[in-house]
Amino acid sequence: MSNESKELAANAKRFDRKTLGDKLMNNALYILMILAVIYIQFFCNSNFLAPASLVNILSQTAAYLPAALGIAGCIVLTGTDLSAGRCVGLTACISASLLQKVGSASKMWTNIGTLPVPVVILIVVLIGALVGAFNGFFVAKFKLHPFIVTLGTQLILYTCLLLYVQQGNNGGMAISSLDPSYTDFIKGSFVSVPTGNGTSTPIPNFVWFAILLTALMWFIWNKTTFGKNMFALGSNEEAARVSGVNVFATTIMVFALAGAMYGWTGFVEGARIGSNTANTGFNYELDAIAACVIGGVSFVGGIGKIRGIVIGVLLLRLIFVGLNMAHVSQDLIYLVKGGIILFACALDMRKYLVKK
Amino acid sequence: MNKKIPALALALTMTASLAACGGNNGGTASTPAPAGSTAPAGQQSDLKVGVFYYNFADAYISTVRSAMDAQLDGLGVTYQNFDAQTNQGEQTNQVNTAITDGYNLLIVNVVENASPDAAQNMADAAKAAGIPIIFFNRDFDASVIQSYDQSAFVGTDPAEAGHMQGQAIGEYLVENYDAVDLNGDGKISYVMFKGQEGNPEAEMRTQYGVEDANTVLEAAGKPDLEFYDAQNEKKYLVDQTGAWSSQAATDYMNTILGQYNDGNNNMVELVIANNDGMAEGAISALQQAGYNQPGSDKVIPVYGVDAMASAVEKIDEGIMAGTVKQDGEAMAATIATLVQNVKDGAALMDNTDQYVVDSDAAKIRVPYAMYTK
Repeated sequence: MSNESKELAANAKRFDRKTLGDKLMNNALYILMILAVIYIQFFCNSNFLAPASLVNILSQTAAYLPAALGIAGCIVLTGTDLSAGRCVGLTACISASLLQKVGSASKMWTNIGTLPVPVVILIVVLIGALVGAFNGFFVAKFKLHPFIVTLGTQLILYTCLLLYVQQGNNGGMAISSLDPSYTDFIKGSFVSVPTGNGTSTPIPNFVWFAILLTALMWFIWNKTTFGKNMFALGSNEEAARVSGVNVFATTIMVFALAGAMYGWTGFVEGARIGSNTANTGFNYELDAIAACVIGGVSFVGGIGKIRGIVIGVLLLRLIFVGLNMAHVSQDLIYLVKGGIILFACALDMRKYLVKK
Repeated sequence: MNKKIPALALALTMTASLAACGGNNGGTASTPAPAGSTAPAGQQSDLKVGVFYYNFADAYISTVRSAMDAQLDGLGVTYQNFDAQTNQGEQTNQVNTAITDGYNLLIVNVVENASPDAAQNMADAAKAAGIPIIFFNRDFDASVIQSYDQSAFVGTDPAEAGHMQGQAIGEYLVENYDAVDLNGDGKISYVMFKGQEGNPEAEMRTQYGVEDANTVLEAAGKPDLEFYDAQNEKKYLVDQTGAWSSQAATDYMNTILGQYNDGNNNMVELVIANNDGMAEGAISALQQAGYNQPGSDKVIPVYGVDAMASAVEKIDEGIMAGTVKQDGEAMAATIATLVQNVKDGAALMDNTDQYVVDSDAAKIRVPYAMYTK
């Protein structure tokens, strides 16, 4: 073998090793996640992957997923949305107050009965979308950074929320005593997973709704002009404008869609938690943003996949449930979360730095 | 771009929000007392009262606020409510600003009560300005009240709610032991939801809710309660955000039920929560798993504190076991007595003979009451 071919072979080997290393690095998060799951299951707590526990992880993921799907659009536009949590809180309180049991002592609006569930869904999704459109308008019209706009909206919404829980018959108390039509719609189930010993764990309905929403969002992101425009706008606003994207309308629609998702999240949380106060939804946006960046929706803009968001939310819930079941001190949960966010974002940026 | 447009928009928003304040009768904004109509004395008092709440979002505190607004309206004094949003720095700023703004009576629901320093700071500031200060709800060391003769505290005895809760749990269990002990292992496994780390109310409810129940159980010859997770040395799950939130309880309870359930024959048999919000959050998770449905006998006993209307209703329905009534109306009425004293120029602690007052300091204790079915 000549020197030259030796060198070539060595290069090839190095190259192979490099691509393998790259592959490992790019998927490090998933690999770590699988290792952690295996570790918890086999060394800490064999209940972790039992059917009942899996249903729990699934349903918690489903509860937090819609907000993350919404906020992801804002991040694709190189923005963010800090108003998500308060918007969830407001819509949760509105949903709960409109769907309280008739004759309940703590009923907020005594003179209306219990509204039909679809009407309330429509109301809260519309309210969410309006809040979102409001955000989008300020971003698009005045070129304000979404961080600032949504910080403002977050505070404004908090006042609305504080005032709302004091309306009617409520006087600031928790909004509870929900009508069965509402709780059954969200928490009821038509499929149960057998867990052995003749018992079974029901899969709550909101899991199916979350799956439907995920499919819907996937369609919007990948198969519609609006979705394509959103990504074009996120990667390069000038280029998008030149190629005929209506920047103003697209921005407003992205934020309105996000708001509609918060409205839905509020509707689910209202029934899932069952006791709604001005505190409901507090800090939801942070978990949602974290889930997005972990899932590879980049703050660089124009990059993100629905698949990634689902995995991001799932990973955060795995941390919560897993560390609980592994009997890790609750104080450490934030360390793990923070570490993973930094790690995920560093990995993410690494890809773009290499390209440059 | 014309710079005036954003400014105009901002101005419009502010005007709109001011208009909203004016239209709101809830009394969150300053309430210039209506010309002598509601004041019993028939004349406008020059008393300007600042009421400082630790967090508007707290459901129980909101009930106190509604009651307090009504009381202060009735007294015909000018007052303003402040929201510290669980931030002690914010509250200290609000109090200092109010003092410079000419407020002559401070009513403070202190945020940080794990140590008496924050309360002491505010008492010192009030003392320097010669203004009476009434603390309420969140308790702290008696030394603060002792340091200033124009200060008082109105609240509950932090230990009492825990004692009552524990006593009621113990009695209920002794009566229904076999029914509660689902897996028949002779022991009751429980979970405790704590609202916040370091808060005396939360600490004592967490401690006595279990200890007193155990005392009753022991007296009846039954074994102590057993925390559902033997490896958790703290023997409670806490809302890490310190907000006593139902959401934290729902998420914990869901996770617990994923692992401890009838299928594994290790179901959690008793739920104790520091407040009704967390109790209701836990019930919501239980319902999702098929327990605690109205009219069903598959009910895990859940205990809370506060006796909010919705919790009382759940108890009447049989899907919650009990709560301890923390009387927001009585708290507001007691504070109003002190405000009346200041208004009339009487000593701060006059007319308080009918109340329970601590022996070592001017601290009035509004009693709790147990509520079960």
